Amino acid sequence: MSFDFALILDSIPKMLMGIGLTLQLLFLSLAIGTALAIILLLMRISGRWYLAAPTMVYIYIFRGTPILVQIFIIYYGLPQLEFVRDSIFWPILREPFGCAIVALSLNTGAYVSEIFRGGVLGVDRGLTEAGAALGLSARHRFIYITAPIAIRLCLPAYSNDVVSLMKSTALASTITLLDMMGIARTIVAETYAPYEVFLSLMVIYLIITWIIQRTFGWIEKRMSRHIRSEV
Amino acid sequence: MEVLTGWWDDFFWGSLVVVELFFVALFLTVLFGLIGAAAKLSNSRVAKAVASGYTIVFRGTPEILVLLLFYFGAAIILTSIAQIFDPAVKFVDFPPFWAGSLAIALIVGSYATETFRGAFLGVDPGQVEAARALGLSNLQTFIYVRIPAMWRLALPPFGNHMLSLIKDTALVAIIGLEETLFVAEQAIGYTAKPFTLYLVVGMIYLSFSTIITLSVMACEKYANRHLETAG
Amino acid sequence: MTDNEVGNIIQLENVDKYFGQFQALKGVNLTVAKGERVVVCGPSGSGKSTLIRCINRLEAHSAGKIIVNGHELTDAVKDIDAVRREVGMVFQSFNLFPHLTVVENLMLAPRLVRKASKDENREKAMQLLERVKIQDQADKWPSALSGGQQQRVAIARALCMNPEVILFDEPTSALDPEMISEVLDVMIDLAREGMTMICVTHEMGFARSVADNVVFMDQGEIVETGPPATFFDNPKSARTRLFLEQILTH
Repeated sequence: MSFDFALILDSIPKMLMGIGLTLQLLFLSLAIGTALAIILLLMRISGRWYLAAPTMVYIYIFRGTPILVQIFIIYYGLPQLEFVRDSIFWPILREPFGCAIVALSLNTGAYVSEIFRGGVLGVDRGLTEAGAALGLSARHRFIYITAPIAIRLCLPAYSNDVVSLMKSTALASTITLLDMMGIARTIVAETYAPYEVFLSLMVIYLIITWIIQRTFGWIEKRMSRHIRSEV
Repeated sequence: MEVLTGWWDDFFWGSLVVVELFFVALFLTVLFGLIGAAAKLSNSRVAKAVASGYTIVFRGTPEILVLLLFYFGAAIILTSIAQIFDPAVKFVDFPPFWAGSLAIALIVGSYATETFRGAFLGVDPGQVEAARALGLSNLQTFIYVRIPAMWRLALPPFGNHMLSLIKDTALVAIIGLEETLFVAEQAIGYTAKPFTLYLVVGMIYLSFSTIITLSVMACEKYANRHLETAG
Repeated sequence: MTDNEVGNIIQLENVDKYFGQFQALKGVNLTVAKGERVVVCGPSGSGKSTLIRCINRLEAHSAGKIIVNGHELTDAVKDIDAVRREVGMVFQSFNLFPHLTVVENLMLAPRLVRKASKDENREKAMQLLERVKIQDQADKWPSALSGGQQQRVAIARALCMNPEVILFDEPTSALDPEMISEVLDVMIDLAREGMTMICVTHEMGFARSVADNVVFMDQGEIVETGPPATFFDNPKSARTRLFLEQILTH
């Protein structure tokens, strides 16, 4: 069993052609998912049951089922439903890319909203009480006191979620998308050389993970300036 | 759901495969997690480096990639070995069940390593000191003081690991394991109702994750019963 | 002592407070006049913190009436906001906003609630910091300050909204002993300048020298009130006597 280095050198550029798609899937789903998470969070902590309950059900479903199944339901399953085919969203849901984005965004939204909620719960109650005692409205307290502190608390968990999302983008290859994983699978199918191809792909993913973690480490450091006390 | 008649028992058997896969992977996960944590906590620089490499690689690589690498990689190894004995052998298939359980156990095990390590480090040093002061040996301290404290600390994050495990079992369908997704695909061939069928798969997984969540909650309650104060 | 012509700035009539089944306040009646300095003391669990937290609606009272500076406290947000603008609070655990510098802590509420202009706001904030003798820490983060310094900033922050009354919830209980006097000194200065204050504290020396009225609470009820002289030297109730014995002799 020999290690075909020539194959590695040949495959890496091909796989890297898929990096555009991988990154698109990552950033688009992250952006939409995070926005969705903020909405879900506000609904969840609103105190009104008719907003909080559906949110909790949504989160429960999306965190309790495998993302692969969610992708399949959206890509293979939705076309079965006539009202989906007739809706304005059909052009998006007809395409594997659109389906992948929808599935990844909905999934990430559920996880991130729980991460945000953890951050909000982690804010010392005394601080919001001090804000209330000063006469700040609930809205002001949330924006100027709770949110800045919660965001900093969430960063480690959020960065983990970004890494998870990045890993989930590889599942797009199961619905015909040619991201890095998809291209790799095609190469392996042609060359029967899983080690060379998959191991080099693994290295590429590890580099992306490292970049994500360093970026968030830097952000966290900047946001924690006020914590490193001099006393 | 007349469309499902005749498929219920197939789904039942598929679910059983999922359960089997889950428990095998769970056992292996705990094993890998404990070994990894022990390595990271040890004084050996080599052990620490290997364990760090392990966690970095398996936490930063997409699960599907690990699965495919193991499945095809193992098949190649087996085929080479078989060809030593019988040159006419073309291809030996490595059972997807074992490739799958090994792969997902290694992945979740890398997270479990951190959890167990954190649990060990989280034990109140004061309690350990008290045990030593009372004359307990290292082993006795470990069994009667450290472990009871550790499993309480590890339980909540480990609950999440179990949820990851059950959801990752869905991925093993990609390498051909005949579990619920496989059944669904067959049924779709006959009934052309992908939405309904994948929804059933989703609900099966949702029930499993609910059972896990409830079990963990019950365990947590039991674990913390000594902390319940009156009123 | 009290100045009845100016009127009562705080009035509690028959106030009850329940936390589930537990009754934290039982039929509390209290009036505080403008310029009056009240010290509330009692064993833990007596309801003293609950009492003052009801005054600025950090807790909602279950029955009875609370009237602050003419506003009756109800569920209506307008009433609550109006009261909170005029009532300042200093907490046991300081509760300074960790993500804002010292001066920014003072500037936040005037900026958002009174829409103060930046320069005016900062000038006022610096004046208040000077008043509590901490102006050179203005641009530091709260985490860089000692407990005593943080509490003094917290007092300045409570003053930044020009309150009519300041509530103190055990302001020195979380401080190391050597820092207690720097905070008490600031509070004594405030009292001398005529600030109306209600102070929950164990510092009996402070009560003796500053208070106009001492209120003793036990198990949710006001057991006894009186000016410090009579309260400390001639307590009427046996419970008061017991408490004073415990707190003053060790």
